[in-house]
Amino acid sequence: MLQYLNEGLRGWEEMPSLEDIGDLREWLRSKVRVGKIARELAREFGYRPYMIERFRELLGSWLEVREILEAFERGLNPFIRCNRLKVRDCREVVERLRKADVLLRGVSWCSNCFEVYGGGGKESLGYLHEHLLGMYYLYRGPASLIPPLTLNPERVDSILDLAAAPGGKTTHIAELMGNEGRILAVDISRARMRALRSNVERLGVTNTVLLRIDGRLVPELFRDFFSKVLLDAPCTGEGLIAIDVGRKVRSSLNDLLRVRELQIELLKAGVESVRPGGLILYSTCSIAPEEDELVVAELLRYGKVKVVPRRLPLRFREGLTHYFGLDLPNVLRGCSRLYPHISGSEGFFTCLLRRVG
Amino acid sequence: MRVKCFIDEEGIVLERVREYLMNDELVKKVLKEFTPLICEANFREVYLLRERVKELVLGVFKSGRAPYSAGLYLGRLRDSRPKLIPSTTFLQHVNSILGHAYRALTVGINGLKPFLYGKDVLKASVVGCHPPIIKNDLLAVSGRDGYVYGAAISLINSCIELKSLKKTDPVALRVFDVGWFLREGKEPRERKYTISHKRKSNRI
Repeated sequence: MLQYLNEGLRGWEEMPSLEDIGDLREWLRSKVRVGKIARELAREFGYRPYMIERFRELLGSWLEVREILEAFERGLNPFIRCNRLKVRDCREVVERLRKADVLLRGVSWCSNCFEVYGGGGKESLGYLHEHLLGMYYLYRGPASLIPPLTLNPERVDSILDLAAAPGGKTTHIAELMGNEGRILAVDISRARMRALRSNVERLGVTNTVLLRIDGRLVPELFRDFFSKVLLDAPCTGEGLIAIDVGRKVRSSLNDLLRVRELQIELLKAGVESVRPGGLILYSTCSIAPEEDELVVAELLRYGKVKVVPRRLPLRFREGLTHYFGLDLPNVLRGCSRLYPHISGSEGFFTCLLRRVG
Repeated sequence: MRVKCFIDEEGIVLERVREYLMNDELVKKVLKEFTPLICEANFREVYLLRERVKELVLGVFKSGRAPYSAGLYLGRLRDSRPKLIPSTTFLQHVNSILGHAYRALTVGINGLKPFLYGKDVLKASVVGCHPPIIKNDLLAVSGRDGYVYGAAISLINSCIELKSLKKTDPVALRVFDVGWFLREGKEPRERKYTISHKRKSNRI
């Protein structure tokens, strides 16, 4: 309700768009003014104060800011995805894990996915034989299951995974494709590439080529080539605070904007690599609009994509169309935000785009 | 070290797989629809590519680059015996085609745990033997569940030889296993060994 009220009031003002303001960094620096309540909450929960002030801008009320801060304190249950490339019947995995004292319950929106809700074996999920054999992939929360499901890969697809390591989404896509079609999984980091290869082999993926390269260079190799692109972009991880509390203080506003530059370049590379009419899924494990809507808005200015609205299986909110007095394109409502206090997941952002030019 | 990759058009891989599987019909089935890719750096590694994956690899080649890995990882080629060190993925692929274990020892749960911590396979933990078994050559180490847990160098020349061993005698020397990445956290390296008839000198 408050959100609508705010929007109504905003309608009276002349708000500048991304084109109008020139330097986004200067604009945000001048607009993000940390007030007394933000300082107090930052002290109470151990955050950088500017983050709290931004949460207020995202969520619309201090009450809801407190709710999200408390949700970040609660932590998350891990999730597993039974790997149908290795396992014929997922009941086998459930039964084997039950014997290892791991308690699972099904996830209604993801077949073969399970929430780990208890049992003494919960802590050892990464060391069990079933894990080593690639019978399941372990997630720290449910949000990472969403991008492959939203991209909806088919057996005939050619998929580019632009920041693929450590491989949770690559292997999920391969599973959904039944090891048919093909995937180019790209990452720049040598160490992360090892983890990616390990996971690809462990889970029995055979339709994938791994390439260690700066993702921004992919269009030099494959221009207008892929039918679908996934960019789960490198980000500050502002949505992962429940899992990694260090993220409460790790990133400054400058860091966010620096990462944004990379995200825009990677997303442009994704757009150039997909064939016209193809789909690009942009996602981050961050709720920072600087890494989310402000990136997609920049791509809309680039001119080759449009937003394809998608409903997520978890409770979500539409993408933002206003941020610190900035007027963002209305089509960003078609993007989706996951907040931990609403969806019970990590903070997450996804936006499905279609290349039109 | 710069990686050099090329499509195997000379049949090098076919020959090595034929030597390993010792069954031409099986080789045909195992390699059906695949093109072998060889990548050389510290090791000579082999991948099996389906047609559409091969097109991607050729696209990578055009830029003068080499893939980090591709398709189904078959294993490593060596100049001396054992000339092929098959991957668990490949061994599982063979089993899935046959519907049963092949060139393998089946190990009980009590033997699998130490095996996954880097220990060798002892007679006491072997619950099944699947020929052909050849001394000083690779065999698969499977669980009762049908999954391949790793590969080891056989110290016996046939399944019958098992009967003459004592419970504590080693039957096969671990080369790699699916727990490797967890323990080491880095690229799999083949265990350094020389092939000898004296058991103790099998290790360096």
